[in-house]
Amino acid sequence: MTLGDLWLQQLINGLNLGAMYSLLALGFTLVYCIMELINFSHFNVFMVGAFIALGVLKLMGMDGQSVILTGLPLIGVLTLTFLITMFSSGMIGVGIERLLLRPLRAVTGPAAMILTIGVSYILFNIILIGIGGDTRNFANPLPSVAWNIGGAVLRMRDVLIWGITIVLMLGLTYFVQYTKLGKGMRATAQDPEAARMMGVEVDNVVALSFFIGSALAGASGLIFGLYYNYAKVDMGFAAGLRAFTAAVLGGIGNVPGAMLGGVLIGLIESGSSQLIGQLWADVVIFSILVIVLVFRPAGLLGRQAPNKS
Amino acid sequence: MLSRRSAFKAAAGIAATATMGVATGAQAADRVVKVGMDLSLTGADSESAIRTGNGAILAFEEANKYKEVPGIIWDAVKFDDGTATAGQYDPAQAATNARKMVSDKNYIAALGPQMSGAGKAMSPILSEGNLAIITPSSTNPDITDPKFAAQYRPKGKAIYFRTVTTDAYQGPNMANYMAKVVGAKSVYLLDDSGAYGVGICDSFERRCKEIGVTVMGRDRLDPKAADYSAVLTKIKSLNPDLLYYGGVGQAGVKLAKQAYEIIPKMLKAGGDGILGTEMLKGVGFPAVEGWYATNASPHKDEGDTQVKVFSDKFRARFKDSPDDYTLTMYVAARAIIETVKVLVANGKPVNRDTVRDGLQSIRMTNSLIGPVEFDENGDLKNKVISVFRITKNAGKPLDSIDDQYKYLGIAPMS
Repeated sequence: MTLGDLWLQQLINGLNLGAMYSLLALGFTLVYCIMELINFSHFNVFMVGAFIALGVLKLMGMDGQSVILTGLPLIGVLTLTFLITMFSSGMIGVGIERLLLRPLRAVTGPAAMILTIGVSYILFNIILIGIGGDTRNFANPLPSVAWNIGGAVLRMRDVLIWGITIVLMLGLTYFVQYTKLGKGMRATAQDPEAARMMGVEVDNVVALSFFIGSALAGASGLIFGLYYNYAKVDMGFAAGLRAFTAAVLGGIGNVPGAMLGGVLIGLIESGSSQLIGQLWADVVIFSILVIVLVFRPAGLLGRQAPNKS
Repeated sequence: MLSRRSAFKAAAGIAATATMGVATGAQAADRVVKVGMDLSLTGADSESAIRTGNGAILAFEEANKYKEVPGIIWDAVKFDDGTATAGQYDPAQAATNARKMVSDKNYIAALGPQMSGAGKAMSPILSEGNLAIITPSSTNPDITDPKFAAQYRPKGKAIYFRTVTTDAYQGPNMANYMAKVVGAKSVYLLDDSGAYGVGICDSFERRCKEIGVTVMGRDRLDPKAADYSAVLTKIKSLNPDLLYYGGVGQAGVKLAKQAYEIIPKMLKAGGDGILGTEMLKGVGFPAVEGWYATNASPHKDEGDTQVKVFSDKFRARFKDSPDDYTLTMYVAARAIIETVKVLVANGKPVNRDTVRDGLQSIRMTNSLIGPVEFDENGDLKNKVISVFRITKNAGKPLDSIDDQYKYLGIAPMS
């Protein structure tokens, strides 16, 4: 393995990590830009999503690495799993919003944020008690296709995760910018009161943003499972913290910012693991976050939040 | 708990014996003695925690059933040192458990913990209370090392006994095995930042340097992180003969999965932290194939009659197969029972002080794991490191340790 190959491989590793963090960061950022709420339950909706996907794949007879699919069956299985997982986790998000957060909407201060931390722990413990704390082997129906670029290896999985991330981001951007519901969301983000007067159903818009944000978390859970082939009750915390950092680094509330932040953190993580050691990766990541925030408090691409005048 | 009717009978019995005089009085007032069991029941190690704990439960149930020690009823109380936030054992919780045991005089001895990090937190507290503990599986050598006596046994006497050997042997002996038997000439080391992982990795590294195995680097994994591809890519570029991992399953499972993708042909080895069903279930074949693992106790399979009898009893009681640390836990519980039996037979009082001193001098010649005697630090005198390699046995259950970890032999002593 030459030095060039080594760095190419680390670049691929970094982009994979980045795609994962970006996907998770999107959900954070979406809810933040509508409600100015940091939704910490997102971490564990992601984890629950992974377990839902694990269950769905198991029901379809896929367990561990024994079944490999190609062609139409693969597309069918994946599409179905994505739909069920995204819908179920989306509904968890709607449930959290409707039952717990809506009564708190008029309350200012950190109450709602603290509540999401509580919900996060409740989800964590439901899975811990119901399913257990050990690492579960996640089904992997993807064929292990890989290409050699010099000494570096690019796997189909790598390309797939980049592709899905880009498609979801473009879809989200299109939805927010060009559809009627998206315009309602942006109007609510700018000024909920005025939006209501203009006939926007603010309650529905907020519920919708929770649905989309949580569905994205579910999708990330499924992708995480397919990529790393495991699901575990504590998977939400480490990945979620990095994703949250990515959202803040890129500028919270800002969709391209979440992507940029995620990719940067992924690249920094793999680069620092190579140069200094895995041991120091967190120190480097969070030092860079601190430095960026000192000079650009709103993050790299600026922050977008509702005007609460 | 006594039912109302049996309580009446018991009361009647006591009344009857009371009238017969003092000689039989002791027999009627059976004393309940408690043994605390510290296990990592929550989190990554919950499965092995239950299996290990059941070893002791079986021992005490038998002792109660056959009234093995006259006048003594055993009560084994489980304490959980795992927490949801840690996702595995939590030293702070282990310390709390130790305090609870020490504060109740009915606890005459303790069993556990499984994990060295928990042991380090518990040992000083138990020393203050002079409550002896026997660990079935924690192998970090510092806890019993006289060099650290001020830290881990401030009262001076050994209170941390083991029915396993320590990493002072597990790491170096495995280094000997990988170098001399398998033929590895260079190694990259990874640990999982826990007390056990760092310790076993340190001792492996030292021995490698002594015997001329090139250490190409060492790094530390965050057990909660998902992705180790960057460090594995670095290892791939260095191309050592062997990757040695010191740590437990939490990082080990993810490491094994990703190592299979990135460095499939490299030799991979670890300690007893990766000897468990979690590796077989969480990683699965083919990724888990070929990993070497060790165990800090003699390996006896069911070819041994004594072990076969034990395994059958265990399966009948718990619908589960025992593993090597179930055996060491059973033997640890037996050591406590034997000690108290000797005390009672000699008419000595049964309390923490006498039980500790009794354990110190106990000699079990023919236990399930061979001879058991403790040295003045609490370490097992009989030091054996067993080596295994995960080798797929398709005809047997793929998550069974007995069937999928192939026993290779005993690692050479340094």
